[in-house]
Amino acid sequence: MTTLTMTRLDPQSRAARRGMSDISIRNLFIIPTILFLIIFNIFPLLYSLYYSFTDFRASTNAPANWVGLANYRELLNDPFIWTNFTITAKYVIVSVAGQVVVGFGVAMLLNRDIPFKGLITTLLLLPMMLSMAVVGLFWKLLYDPSFGIINYVLGLGRFEWLSDPDMALYAVAITDIWMWSPFVMLLSLAGLSAVPKHLYEAAAIDRAGPLYTFFRITLPLVAPILMIAIIFRTMEAFKTFDIAYIMTSQPTTEMIAIRLYKMAFQEWQTGMSCAFAYIVLIMVVAITNIYVKYLNKVKER
Amino acid sequence: MRRRMIGIAGGLALVLASSTSVLAQELTIFWAEWDPANYLQELVNEYEAETGVQVTVETTPWQDFQTKAFTEFNARGSAYDMVVGDSQWLGAASEAGHYVDLTDFFNEHNLGEVMAPATVKYYAEYPSESGKFWAIPAEGDAVGWSYRKDWFEDPKEMEAFKAKYGYDLAPPKDWKELRDIAEFFHRPDENRYGIAIYTDNSYDGLVMGVENAIFSFGGELGDYANYKVDGIINSDQNVKALELYRELYTYTPPGWAKSFFVENNQAITENLAAMSMNYFAFFPALVNEASNPNAKVTGFFPNPAGPGGDQFAALGGQGISVISYSENKEEAMKFLEWFIKDETQKRWAELGGYTASAAVLGSDEFQNATPYNKAFYETMFRVKDFWATPEYAELLIQMNQRVYPYITAGEGSAKEALDALAGDWKETFEKYGR
Amino acid sequence: MAAVQTTSERALNKVAIISVLIVTIIFLAPIYWIVSTSFKPRNLATTVPPTIVFEPEISPFVKLTLRRSQLREQPTPEEYAAAPWWERLVFDGGEKIVRSGRGEVQLSGYPSRFVNSLIIAITSTVLAVAMGTFTAYGFSRFKMPGEQDWLFFILSTRMLPPVVVAIPMFLMYRAVGLNDTHVGLIILYTAFNLSFSVWLMKGFIDEIPKEYEEAALVDGYTRMEAFFKVVLPEAATGIAATAVFCFITAWNEYAFALIMTRRDAQTAPPFIPSQVGSGLPDWTVIASGTFLFLLPVAIFTFLLRNHLLRGMSFGAIRK
Repeated sequence: MTTLTMTRLDPQSRAARRGMSDISIRNLFIIPTILFLIIFNIFPLLYSLYYSFTDFRASTNAPANWVGLANYRELLNDPFIWTNFTITAKYVIVSVAGQVVVGFGVAMLLNRDIPFKGLITTLLLLPMMLSMAVVGLFWKLLYDPSFGIINYVLGLGRFEWLSDPDMALYAVAITDIWMWSPFVMLLSLAGLSAVPKHLYEAAAIDRAGPLYTFFRITLPLVAPILMIAIIFRTMEAFKTFDIAYIMTSQPTTEMIAIRLYKMAFQEWQTGMSCAFAYIVLIMVVAITNIYVKYLNKVKER
Repeated sequence: MRRRMIGIAGGLALVLASSTSVLAQELTIFWAEWDPANYLQELVNEYEAETGVQVTVETTPWQDFQTKAFTEFNARGSAYDMVVGDSQWLGAASEAGHYVDLTDFFNEHNLGEVMAPATVKYYAEYPSESGKFWAIPAEGDAVGWSYRKDWFEDPKEMEAFKAKYGYDLAPPKDWKELRDIAEFFHRPDENRYGIAIYTDNSYDGLVMGVENAIFSFGGELGDYANYKVDGIINSDQNVKALELYRELYTYTPPGWAKSFFVENNQAITENLAAMSMNYFAFFPALVNEASNPNAKVTGFFPNPAGPGGDQFAALGGQGISVISYSENKEEAMKFLEWFIKDETQKRWAELGGYTASAAVLGSDEFQNATPYNKAFYETMFRVKDFWATPEYAELLIQMNQRVYPYITAGEGSAKEALDALAGDWKETFEKYGR
Repeated sequence: MAAVQTTSERALNKVAIISVLIVTIIFLAPIYWIVSTSFKPRNLATTVPPTIVFEPEISPFVKLTLRRSQLREQPTPEEYAAAPWWERLVFDGGEKIVRSGRGEVQLSGYPSRFVNSLIIAITSTVLAVAMGTFTAYGFSRFKMPGEQDWLFFILSTRMLPPVVVAIPMFLMYRAVGLNDTHVGLIILYTAFNLSFSVWLMKGFIDEIPKEYEEAALVDGYTRMEAFFKVVLPEAATGIAATAVFCFITAWNEYAFALIMTRRDAQTAPPFIPSQVGSGLPDWTVIASGTFLFLLPVAIFTFLLRNHLLRGMSFGAIRK
């Protein structure tokens, strides 16, 4: 990212004498936020880092015993946990890819001369305004083989969306795509409307095909904001809990956040769940880091 | 902006001040959000009329109940004076010091005899056989069955059933008959299915359902007194019970892989199944015509016997405990003294609560009050429960992990699932030095 | 050539319009279903095919706000006649209103939770957007050592599943007495939304030409004055867009709302899907709770709709 730096004020000027210095304004604007986030993020993180080496249980008042790396060792040797990771990875890929395809596709359509564009765009945002738990609950009903609407409308008879172990994860992903494609759509739309018209005109004069125009003009210019959408959606998909937990309880849909919830709040294995959380954190940070590096590269182009 | 924040902070300070200036005449009972909690509110209203002590039953949705209760206990919060807690919590809550020891109160009032024996054993005592009591049995509950009387009593069906199975179609007396009837009514092309059973593995639904089969087949989950599991949880009768449960799953309506009390009641109201397993506490909705269009033709029966004649059901229900961090413990004990009186227990049953009082349960008045009370009475004297050790949740999750894929997807065999479970449990008990 | 192109363009546009229409219908069908269910009589809620034509009822909304339990004995005709209209609606549904010891009608958790949600979501949105704007301006206009790392740190605060930080947060809140307070949740949601707010606002502010401020400085404004009088108005659309996202997140947050509250500061999301106390869900009540809860955020978004799109494009693309 380019850094815009202001020319320094002449120290003798009236304004400089009257107001605060640039450095103190910068500090005043940035440091409270950073401090605030440190207190609310670093502190709990240190707390849980300590607990991850203990057998602490938050349901009792018994003191925590230091167990060293035992929690990590046990977790990394647990076959169920590895399944949780694989499931989560599959879900993140399907769900985020679906959102990008649908969201970006709809944005491409809306970027044309469509009547009531503003109204339609706003209406399409409705799904993402609902709470995840409610969405899960209603979609479970919509998917129901006996009295759900989806099978009726699609003429699928008694198709078992959520009870079929192989289908359930995709069914949850479809719901997630329904809910969050609008988010990707909105950001893409913003990106698309900012692409200068003259570039398209130039391409038309050069008799460039639609594919060429799309891959050489549209996509590169929208890519930065699309990447931001993808980063945020990936992080959220990684954390998926409410929707999946409410809709299905198949072993094939037990994602990390669900396993973590069970460990932390049903079993009350606080120490163990903190260790689990750390393993997750390292993975998410690594993935996001790759994304952000790529984002910066895209922006430089 | 700042003024608004100060306003909120000020308002909060006021709220805090008014709620912490403890009025001795107020008690709060914490429970899950369901009808019995509303009945309890009606009951304690009468206590207020008598004594002037205001009692409030505060509730939270079922799915959050356990999480919220334990976060509150752990915070040593004094917001609640009493809690109507699940039987599995006894171990965790008593070992951690969250509950007040009620042993003296229990013995003084001879509650071991006043309350039905099973409720004393499972809602109140921990550890098993120790003579230490932590709760007063409050809401008895167990798993029973509802069925479609109109389907069962249809002459054509009765004739066809007799021809096929050689005996009369009637509410099943044992699990073999249960299986036959489920198979008989399972007609997917007519959009009609045999049976609704618990399969939800996100908490204790599936395990409760499987327990019904295991206990009636004469099996046990383990030796609760000395934590022995190998050869008990994976015994031959348990393998047979699990195999039958798996077979019943094939007679359930489509999409029945995450069903618990809500779905099983819906199986009756939506004309899906001939028979449906459920807690007695959820049967009132089935006799209410506003919520069940089939209310008039819904019947009830207790959990049937196994091949050896054993007949046990999985226990639900809760006992009421005093929270150690309450500032009104004495007042709470006075309330409990009122609560265990015979008149109160009788009134509790009238209002819709499932009393655990042996005398009230045995009365004709109680047994004839609803179509399911008799089945409830019969069941409450033959119930068994899951482990109540502090690590019960781990045991529960391990059981879900091993049993669910077999029941719903037919993965592996019953024997393999239970052997693996025995290994998991043994390891867990070793980890906690049991 | 040009004429041909316009005809094919026009045909393409028609296809686009029809596709948009289809997509809109697919996306809105579940929403329509929820809204219509919230006005249905209970026995029509789960019919297949769905009932489209019905006489709308207000009873789901009445039931939503009252604490009810199953009727065990029908009310006597006198009782029924003496009851106000809303109590009769409850009777008609086979239920009765739960009263306190003093005979007062008890409300369900919904009304108070709704108010709490409003207080907490609005305040935390204002805070997150304000702090986000300041910080974004700081990063945008001044050199900061390790700027990229700080920005990544800010982003990273949103990466963890809430259950991870929940326990330490809970213990921390317990220690300082912020459990179950409005302030506690407001701070939490502000922290939660800050990363998004900073990242989005930085995009917007980067786009505002710095010459605007320089001109103001030359006119004798201090830097602070220039920020408030020149930069802020320019960033208004971006602020609106950011506010919408922050509000949606804070409004619907579930996990922390569940763990960090117990009575005074409880919000609505954990309550809405829980209408199964009798063992049978009343879908009409769940739908009405969902519909009412959707209204504030939908209205807020609708009011800011013009800013939303313009704001987004404003901050989206860097030159």
